[in-house]
Amino acid sequence: MINRRTLGKLALGLVGATALMQAPAFAQTAPAPLDNPGNVKIALVRYLSTGDFFQAYLSGVESQAKALGVDLRVLDSRQDAALQADMVDQAIALGVNGIIIQHGLTESMKEAAQRAVDAGIKVVAFDVNVENDKIPQVEQSDRDLARLALEQAIKDNGESWKAGYVYVAGIAPLDRRNETWVDFKKKYPGIEEKAMFGTLDNPIANSVANQARSVVSANPDISVMFAPYDEFAKGVKIAVDEAGLSSGVKIYSADISTSDIAAMREPGSAWAATAATNPAVVGQVSVRALAMLIAGEDPGKSVIVPPTLITQKDLNDNDIKNMEELSAKMPQFAHADVVMPAWMPNPNKK
Amino acid sequence: MGKEAVFGIAGLRKSFGSIEVLGGVGLALHSGEVTILMGANGAGKSTLVKVVSGVYGLDAGTMTLEGKPFDPQTPAEAIRAGVVTVHQNINDGVVAALDVATNLTLDRLNGAGASFFFNPRRIRREAKEVAERMGLTIDLGAKIPDLSLADRQMVAIARAMAHQPKVLILDEPTSSLSSAEANRLFTLIDRLKAQGVAILYITHRMSDIRRLADRIVSLRDGVIAGTFDDKPLDYEGAVNAMLGRKVGIGQVAIREAGKEVFSADGLRIANAAKPFSLALGDGEVVAITGLVGVGKTALAETLFGLRKPLEGKMTLGGAAYAPASPRQAIDAGVFLVAKDRAESGIVPDFNIYENISLPFLDRISRLAISRRGAERRIARRQIGDLGIVCRTEKDDMSTLSGGNQQKVMVARWMPEQARLFVLDEPFQGVDIAARRDIAAKLRASAAGRATLIFVTELDEALETADRILVMSEHTIVGEHRNASLNMERLLAEIAGQPAQSAA
Amino acid sequence: MTTRDLAVRYGFLLLLAALVAYFAIAADGFASPQSAVFIFQSVAITGVLALGVTATLVVGGFDLSIGSVATTAMMAAAYVMVIFEQNALVAVAACLLIGVVVGLINGFLIVYMRVPDLLATLGMMFLLVGLQRIPTEGRSIATGMTMPDGSVAGGTFSPAFLALGRHRFDFFIPNLIPVSVVVLLVLAAAIWFFLEYTRFGRMMYAVGSNERAAQLAGAPVKAYKIWAYVISGIFASIGGILLAARLGRGDIASGNNLLLDSVAAALIGFAVLGAAKPNAFGTAVGALFVGILLQGLTMMNAPYYTQDFVKGIVLVVALVFTFALSNAGRR
Repeated sequence: MINRRTLGKLALGLVGATALMQAPAFAQTAPAPLDNPGNVKIALVRYLSTGDFFQAYLSGVESQAKALGVDLRVLDSRQDAALQADMVDQAIALGVNGIIIQHGLTESMKEAAQRAVDAGIKVVAFDVNVENDKIPQVEQSDRDLARLALEQAIKDNGESWKAGYVYVAGIAPLDRRNETWVDFKKKYPGIEEKAMFGTLDNPIANSVANQARSVVSANPDISVMFAPYDEFAKGVKIAVDEAGLSSGVKIYSADISTSDIAAMREPGSAWAATAATNPAVVGQVSVRALAMLIAGEDPGKSVIVPPTLITQKDLNDNDIKNMEELSAKMPQFAHADVVMPAWMPNPNKK
Repeated sequence: MGKEAVFGIAGLRKSFGSIEVLGGVGLALHSGEVTILMGANGAGKSTLVKVVSGVYGLDAGTMTLEGKPFDPQTPAEAIRAGVVTVHQNINDGVVAALDVATNLTLDRLNGAGASFFFNPRRIRREAKEVAERMGLTIDLGAKIPDLSLADRQMVAIARAMAHQPKVLILDEPTSSLSSAEANRLFTLIDRLKAQGVAILYITHRMSDIRRLADRIVSLRDGVIAGTFDDKPLDYEGAVNAMLGRKVGIGQVAIREAGKEVFSADGLRIANAAKPFSLALGDGEVVAITGLVGVGKTALAETLFGLRKPLEGKMTLGGAAYAPASPRQAIDAGVFLVAKDRAESGIVPDFNIYENISLPFLDRISRLAISRRGAERRIARRQIGDLGIVCRTEKDDMSTLSGGNQQKVMVARWMPEQARLFVLDEPFQGVDIAARRDIAAKLRASAAGRATLIFVTELDEALETADRILVMSEHTIVGEHRNASLNMERLLAEIAGQPAQSAA
Repeated sequence: MTTRDLAVRYGFLLLLAALVAYFAIAADGFASPQSAVFIFQSVAITGVLALGVTATLVVGGFDLSIGSVATTAMMAAAYVMVIFEQNALVAVAACLLIGVVVGLINGFLIVYMRVPDLLATLGMMFLLVGLQRIPTEGRSIATGMTMPDGSVAGGTFSPAFLALGRHRFDFFIPNLIPVSVVVLLVLAAAIWFFLEYTRFGRMMYAVGSNERAAQLAGAPVKAYKIWAYVISGIFASIGGILLAARLGRGDIASGNNLLLDSVAAALIGFAVLGAAKPNAFGTAVGALFVGILLQGLTMMNAPYYTQDFVKGIVLVVALVFTFALSNAGRR
């Protein structure tokens, strides 16, 4: 279960009130049956729900559903794989037009998803592979996250530096981010990995801080720390601060949250940049992909939500203090221009 | 004797660290005979038993069983070879989580030929056979914790018998049995003798020795001090050999009580029991005797605030006394040496002086900070006063023999002046020499308090008390001055026979 | 003293010294005052928790809830400062109060409701893991966070509170010793003195060794047991305060790793000086032992899973020292 729970911990942050109170605003008349959205029902069948990430994801789903004016049902299995499959059947019985499957296990969801497709219901899946050609996958790109952060590191530090790398194998998103790191090391032979460490003992930041402290004392020449998960970055930052090395080390990470923003903006903070996908946007994209299917359009086999690079400078220049201000002041973080046909309402438009 | 010994020991030595406990012991057991082993405190009896039963390895010497060398590496090996031991600690002999029937047949569940399946009905049937053979009248379905100590002992012995041993070792088997139960055990031993079992029987009870002994062996300081097998057996010689000095048959010099210290009026301690009254005076030692389970411990616990009387009043030094906890009892000056020191007295992780200072640590401490120097001084004085055999006051309790452990339990209460000092079975598992030391100390220090001793063994009461009360069915049924007493009436009262005058 | 006695008594300390010597040679930067201080800092939180659980071990009990008490205290500190906008003093008081209340409830369940200690504190552990999520509906607490109702929390972590995790005292070298290390040393000395040199400590050992004997010697056994759990709760909440001050936010966490590490430290402590029983000095040494090992291994680039493995080995060896070598093997 650590895999799933950690995924939850890979919290891209907390975005709430993006656009909860708007009335549906149609740019253009939507195709049937969404021209009469009051009659359209969709269901969100969740496997994971506790944690900042999932809270924000849900708020994105809600805001997009509201913008479309469709009737949203949320079915939450709370990490019970069998129950989640039953909930798909329940949604079928409810007569919904579309289902979003949010996480889950391939083994338990594959057949349930097929039953829904057989019943003529449109299905999209987020972060779970249900092995079905008729079901588009909504994904956030972990490779892009790592790439953005590392490109910034190259930009800031040149092509040749000594690095510390925080990584725990066996966690799918971290493994994908690791592939990019491995590619980068090949591409830039000047990058020398002096130490690799990492742990998921919770509280993670505390445990990583203890390790990072040892690493920086053993390798005082490290100038870049690549910590592609914000809990890791937080721990490395604590260690670097405690060792009094904040000015000599730069931290590059992935994911963001309100407390990460505060940490990055501390005077003299070593945390230089992070790349993140907004979970609320992922939620909106999931609903939009489903809406296109219901309207008979094709969102594509795989819908990728692009990440945004957020640097310490961006935060300071715009005086961003929390996730709301991040969305407001960095529009590329608040909205992703994917699966946006002309008729699709944008929930973030005021 | 002419008969060949079935079991022999020669030149057996055993040391723990630098301390030699057994210094070359030789012993022969003959089939169909009971050999009594006597020994004082720390003479090495328990160690000898543990070597023979395979708990300890030996340092030097040989053991032979039926002419073949016998050197068990584990207790199980000894049992398989036919040498079965019933240890003094009863709870080692029974499995508390199981019922009587399963305990009786437990050993058949292990080893070759045991059925894979657990068949409760067969167990019950076999257990019934065992129980009948032993004359056991315990409910076979009862759980061990619900049994009295005496019944547990009977189960442990019955269980040992099920091995059909060639040599049976009984380590103080009657120390917690009533005389009726002891008689059942003796009958059993007679039966085993007739079957040709060689029995080594460790005890201090003269009544057991008189009843059973074919031969007496006295152990002193790790060597055999005397072997007595000429009929009639020289009991006094055996005791003298064991003690290494001559002990007079201690008749106590009766003292009269001073002014009343404690009284109980109309006290009822069990449902359907008759209320009784009781008065104890300054300087007297009173023994309350009676069979196992007649309410002696219940009364001791009532005096110490562990249970409340159902009705009746108590007064201490003229004031009403109704303790709600041991702490209140102690603060009022009522101290208790509880029965079964291993369970309710000894703190095993503590050394001697920490055990002694336990109840009055608050008085020894200053501003809640314990003063080890003062504790050790107090302990050293008690060790001297009571003749506790140890190296220093920092020794672990586990290094002491039973008698010395009991002395520590008594010593715990001696530094403070009691008004009423209660001892429940203070001589259980204590050898004669230690028993006399404790009794002498109690009598010597008796002034200024009332002393009340609960004993099952009548000898112990006769040796110690000025006055003897008899308990039966949770009430006091008789009172005797310990001088020219009417033994016949006393025994009748203990047996709970009617037609005696109530006290 | 025989060789075995010596081995039992000093073997573990010798092992510790050998370990330090090895890392000093093998790992660059290991042998420095900063490194020594850091080892203390890395074990400060688990060390404080371990000292608390030692108190419950002394009375023959166990406390599985310490990890979750610590994380609950961490959440409470964050909640009080960030959402109620209170100062550091209120936050610390709230944490300690949580520790006391949890300890009292644990003690009550065990002493008066007769729930076995492992089960009672296991229940408490689950209860707290759930409880810490309720006020924020499962969100972690950080400065400027959004509340479930959409409003934004106005409070911040007070600098005084953060100083508990970040301030350093001068000690020969400026800015050397962090507050958490001072807290660890003070608490270790306090609980050591309490257990070894006060009559209350002695009676707690008596209760743990033979409860009935302690009762018959007049000790209020129930009160001592409850007190042990209160001590454990307070120490765990102090650990939570240090954790919150170091992280600067309130993280949802079960604290299971804190629990396991601190229990390991307390058990390793059995082996120190051949005590074969829970003791504060041993617990502190046990925590240090684990800290030194992890610090040295990390400096030598050992991956995290080998660290768990090594922790396990240390624990097993310590238990062998305690149980096999000390008293039992007399054959």
